[in-house]
Amino acid sequence: MSISRGVPKRRSSSMTSRARLARWALSGPPLAFLAVFFLIPTLIMGLASFGWPGQEGGLSPLWYHDAAGWHFDLTLGNYRDIFTLKLFLALYLRSLGYALATTVCCLVGAYPLALVIARARARYRNLLLLLVIVPFWSNFLIRIYAWMIILGPQAALSRGVNAVLGLFGFGPTSLLFSPFAVLMGLVYVSLPFMILPLYANLEKHDPALLEAARDLGASAWACFWRVTFPLAVPGVIAGATLVFIPALGAFAVPDILGGTRGIMIGNVIEMEFLQARDWPFGAALSIMLTFLALGATGLAAWAARRGVKAYG
Amino acid sequence: MAKRGKAALYAAALAAYAFLYVPLVIVVLFSFSASRLGTQWAGFTLGWYVMLLHDADMLHAAWNSLVIALAASLAAIVFGTLAALATHKYRLRFLPVLVLAPLSTPDILQGVSLLVFFVLLNVSLGLRSIMLAHTSFCIAYVAIVVSSRLAGMDPSLVEAARDLGASPWKGFWLVTLPLLVPGILAGGLLAFTMSIDDFVITFFTAGAGTSTLPLRIYTMIKVAVTPEVNAVSTLLMALTLVLVISISRLAPQALKGMG
Amino acid sequence: MARRLAMVVAAGLVAFLVAGLVRANGVLHLYNWNNYIAPQTLARFETVCRCRVAYDTYGSNEELLARLAAGATGYDILVPTGNAVQSLIRAGRLLPLDKRKLPNLANIDPTYLNGFYDPGNVYSVPYAYTITLLGYNVEKMRELGIPTDTWAALFDPRYLKRLRGRVTVLDDPRELLAAALKYLGYSANDTDPSHWQRAAEVIINAKPYWAAFNNTSYIRLMASGDVWLAQGYSNDFFQAGREAERAGEPFTIAFNVPKEGAVLAVDNMVVPKGAPRPDLAYQFIDFMLEGRNASELTNLIGSGNPNRAALPFIRPAIAANRAIFPDHAVLGRLEELHELDRGQRRFLNRLWLEIKLH
Repeated sequence: MSISRGVPKRRSSSMTSRARLARWALSGPPLAFLAVFFLIPTLIMGLASFGWPGQEGGLSPLWYHDAAGWHFDLTLGNYRDIFTLKLFLALYLRSLGYALATTVCCLVGAYPLALVIARARARYRNLLLLLVIVPFWSNFLIRIYAWMIILGPQAALSRGVNAVLGLFGFGPTSLLFSPFAVLMGLVYVSLPFMILPLYANLEKHDPALLEAARDLGASAWACFWRVTFPLAVPGVIAGATLVFIPALGAFAVPDILGGTRGIMIGNVIEMEFLQARDWPFGAALSIMLTFLALGATGLAAWAARRGVKAYG
Repeated sequence: MAKRGKAALYAAALAAYAFLYVPLVIVVLFSFSASRLGTQWAGFTLGWYVMLLHDADMLHAAWNSLVIALAASLAAIVFGTLAALATHKYRLRFLPVLVLAPLSTPDILQGVSLLVFFVLLNVSLGLRSIMLAHTSFCIAYVAIVVSSRLAGMDPSLVEAARDLGASPWKGFWLVTLPLLVPGILAGGLLAFTMSIDDFVITFFTAGAGTSTLPLRIYTMIKVAVTPEVNAVSTLLMALTLVLVISISRLAPQALKGMG
Repeated sequence: MARRLAMVVAAGLVAFLVAGLVRANGVLHLYNWNNYIAPQTLARFETVCRCRVAYDTYGSNEELLARLAAGATGYDILVPTGNAVQSLIRAGRLLPLDKRKLPNLANIDPTYLNGFYDPGNVYSVPYAYTITLLGYNVEKMRELGIPTDTWAALFDPRYLKRLRGRVTVLDDPRELLAAALKYLGYSANDTDPSHWQRAAEVIINAKPYWAAFNNTSYIRLMASGDVWLAQGYSNDFFQAGREAERAGEPFTIAFNVPKEGAVLAVDNMVVPKGAPRPDLAYQFIDFMLEGRNASELTNLIGSGNPNRAALPFIRPAIAANRAIFPDHAVLGRLEELHELDRGQRRFLNRLWLEIKLH
């Protein structure tokens, strides 16, 4: 969330019981729902990340009781492995790189479209917005498979690229099963998640501000950097959050489009839970990923807010 | 803006649309292709749609997907909007993190942990358990979009309403909420989209005999993608579109705020 | 358009509901691989048992085991591969079968009974089998002069140089490692870490020439001519070949058991503890053991069939294919994978990551 703390409450020190009631009425239901259906289950797995895998998969009991009393069978080994084996650090870094690149590409690709929709005549906006999301109501995997066809060696795109490369004396290259294909797939599945929040933000901007800036002699570029973009920052943060975090944990796209080198931390977590049936290690990897995602998002939101303040 | 700048803007927007639609065109096109493998065009046929209509399991799965996505996105709209309002209005530290956390937790961890949790509590697995699971990851999408909408909202509007003697509740109902509608709808659409496409969490929280479309498609793809999968995707997309359009016809008010 | 769509969907739903009403004898919950029972077989069983079959699907043994390990229940029949049966038995998740209720069990070829995973078939009944082998584009391999009866085609850079980017292998550490172990002359079930390390080196050396690790789309990629050589399952290659033929492609697809040997995977019907309808489960197992019912899957997807009574119903071209129905000589070169213990699984997973990151 863009963690936008509103204006500090004027009467917060002397909060009436009614105000307190209102506060709980607003925050109580989501808090309760997420506590039950997200926090508790996740804490169970968090505990599991200090355990050993069961012989047939799952989890070996964390504690047991016998004549000699209670025994705990816990270990820090899962986390130690993550930090000491270069393998996993490399994977986190690689995923971070992909997620950042995806976010930047999405921002660049989504901004003009969101702006055009926000500036369109009111009665077309619904339609234009709907057009963004419609492709996403067909199935995810099917769309990724469509990219396989588009990027495949028989397709026009690959032939075109290779013809151009050939002119410069480079050998044929494969678009499919490459880091390029992974990035493109990630941008493709994430783009609407940048467009929609950006639009929701840009739509409420007052065009009068821009006109005022232009009347004062600002260039189009200056208008953008000084007026439009700072105002859009909450939308950018929202969109970046919705793109960056899921991209960080992606596994289907690298799996299908990445070929022999397409592997991200999401694939490893998938493998731990399925192929290795190693819940404790999978849980430890997942929890590190969650902290990484939350940390990076918090950092970005903080930096963006400071940036905006510096302008203002 | 200068004319050239404007042209460039429209070109970029058009390119973004094209990027979104090229794979879709392929999906739809191959649902009418006579070739079983969907790698090259082999003549027009409606055969896959006919086959689909006789595939009661597939239709039932598609229906399940729709019902789950509708229920989960509606619940997420309620919880997510509340969370965004609470976070905006009060200095909360825990709630914003809790709302974001499901988004940043790997799907498979959520799926496994929810299954373990449901089994511990003896909750029977089925449509209901999938809906609960989907709601928990959909809330974030609504909350984030609504928050960003709230972030730059002009507080003077609400204050004006208050000055005119409106109660806080009335001020919210008449001023804040209508202004939030575009954000709520955009967030709700994202939530719907996430739910209808979810595979991993559904895989773990679905009960015996409760299948959704992504579950069926996933295992079908493991063997070979026949254009029947393209046909069912196309159909689901069309159905969703019809649904959204008829909602907007039946309740034009609901969508007014968007435009 | 919208109205027609709505009607079409409504018609489908009505048909579905009506079908449900007719079948008064309850529901059998079958959890099976996708496309792993012929539609006509399923329909016939629904008529015989006057029940409905809820057919849920999984894509790998790991998915099945992961769900069961987390506590999922409600299924009457599962169809896991031998090593997964072994794991399920060790975890105490299966019901012992009452053989008196399965008279058709006599139809099963004794070769496929008494598997290492379930001596005496206390819990499991063989359903079908596949072999993990080499599939290839016959014309291309001939043109390039590459032998097709050895794993060397997949692992030896000498051959791979000519196949760069046209090869896929399974995205499954166990299967790929088994192939590399076989290539090196070890058993597929060898668990000596130094042998695994050698196999990993073989894989890493060959990897630059491969297009992808792929379980899902090599059927398509081979049938479209994009991939010329793949490690995969016999029934998948059977389907790829049929697809290429139907599409009128100018090439043919064949598959061979390499001379070094390969992995045999026998899938079995088992009943999990807590099955809601064990009675229907018995009825289903015995029904599937009838020759004609068993034959239909083989005719559909080219799977191996352990049922002797099914042979007369199987299309001769399939029955004669030694890579689908191995004779004694071929059988001697096949091995079934044993389940690893948790330490080995962890070690293998990390080795696999190193391979993938390399």
